[in-house]
Amino acid sequence: MTGRVIVVTSGKGGVGKTTASANIGLALAASGPSVALVDMDIGLRNLDILMGLENRVVYNLVDVVEEKCKLRQALVKDKRLPNLNLLPAAQTRDKTAVNADQMKKLTEELKGMFDYVLIDSPAGIESGFQNAIAGAEEAVVICTPEMSAVRDADRVIGLLEARKDEISQYRLIINRIRPHMVKSNDMMSVQDVLEILSVKLLGVVPEDDQVIVSTNKGEPLSGSSDNQKAGQAYRNIAKRLQGEEVPFLNLDAMDATWFTKVVKFFNPARV
Amino acid sequence: MQLLDWLFRKSSDDARSKAKDRMKQMLIHDRLELPPDRLSSLEEELVAVVCRYFDIDRDTTRFDLQQYERKASLIANFPLVRSKT
Ligand SMILES: Nc1ncnc2c1ncn2[C@@H]1O[C@H](COP(=O)(O)OP(=O)(O)OP(=O)(O)O)[C@@H](O)[C@H]1O
Ligand SMILES: [Mg+2]
Repeated sequence: MTGRVIVVTSGKGGVGKTTASANIGLALAASGPSVALVDMDIGLRNLDILMGLENRVVYNLVDVVEEKCKLRQALVKDKRLPNLNLLPAAQTRDKTAVNADQMKKLTEELKGMFDYVLIDSPAGIESGFQNAIAGAEEAVVICTPEMSAVRDADRVIGLLEARKDEISQYRLIINRIRPHMVKSNDMMSVQDVLEILSVKLLGVVPEDDQVIVSTNKGEPLSGSSDNQKAGQAYRNIAKRLQGEEVPFLNLDAMDATWFTKVVKFFNPARV
Repeated sequence: MQLLDWLFRKSSDDARSKAKDRMKQMLIHDRLELPPDRLSSLEEELVAVVCRYFDIDRDTTRFDLQQYERKASLIANFPLVRSKT
């Protein structure tokens, strides 16, 4: 087996990486393939909480790297889906506990065991981020439609582009869209952000209070078909990752903008 | 000329358009690692050169950075009045 190694990253903190990792991981596993969720936010362990698995954590990623246990021993099986596994971060260590080579080796091993290896990365673009992307072949960049988040996403995209040889593609998730604010022109739209960043869109996730409720319960929203907002968005994202074409939630019009017209004018061959 | 007017059109000043315009300029500068005053000194120099050959209409001169995909281009428009003798 050779699985796909996908890193979830953002630059800016708190934009929804861990929430997305948990939800996409669960939705992927629910549709069949085996999935490993890797918490690379060493020292700030969160993914186990969102998955409701915090009581089952025995060993962690650093233990595996330091050969205190076998990889299989550190993997925590999800309570809902046996084909979903979590590799927790260490809570009492810091980012310097692992390096890029060790992460590459670890993801290599995970690739042999799972169809999808989904890596939740820490905020920032320093060593923790570099370790998280070290073994990745694809990236999912998350931002919210706010200026600081978009700027940081752009920085991350620049860093991913510089590693084109290893990371073959990256796509964007725009999280916490508030359609009424876009409509009243108080906030950037999906189309605005795409135009600014010039990236491929993987998904659009609306602002949804249920995200907090589901975090408190330890049950990612994508797990039940009840939730038609964020939960549905994450399920769609999981389908797109698997190559299915799913229309985007119609949160704003995706028509031709002045931008595409300008491109046509200056560079007709490219459109 | 219409296209240029529209290219350099002033956008409305709601929060959404403001954010978008600021973002675009900010990211172009970020990506090029362009210091904030560099563009205006380039403009000054270019204008000086063009002015050696032409009288230009300074009121409608436009000078701007724009992006396509993730690459920036410099777009300048110097309306010419007459050539210098
Ligand atoms: N679509 C959404 N709607 C409402 N709240 C959301 C949404 N996505 C994320 N949140 C909330 O935003 C907060 C940050 O989310 P999360 O922890 O997933 O971000 P993160 O990028 O992993 O943060 P960090 O950089 O600290 O690791 C959480 O309180 C989460 O519940
Ligand atoms: Mg997180």
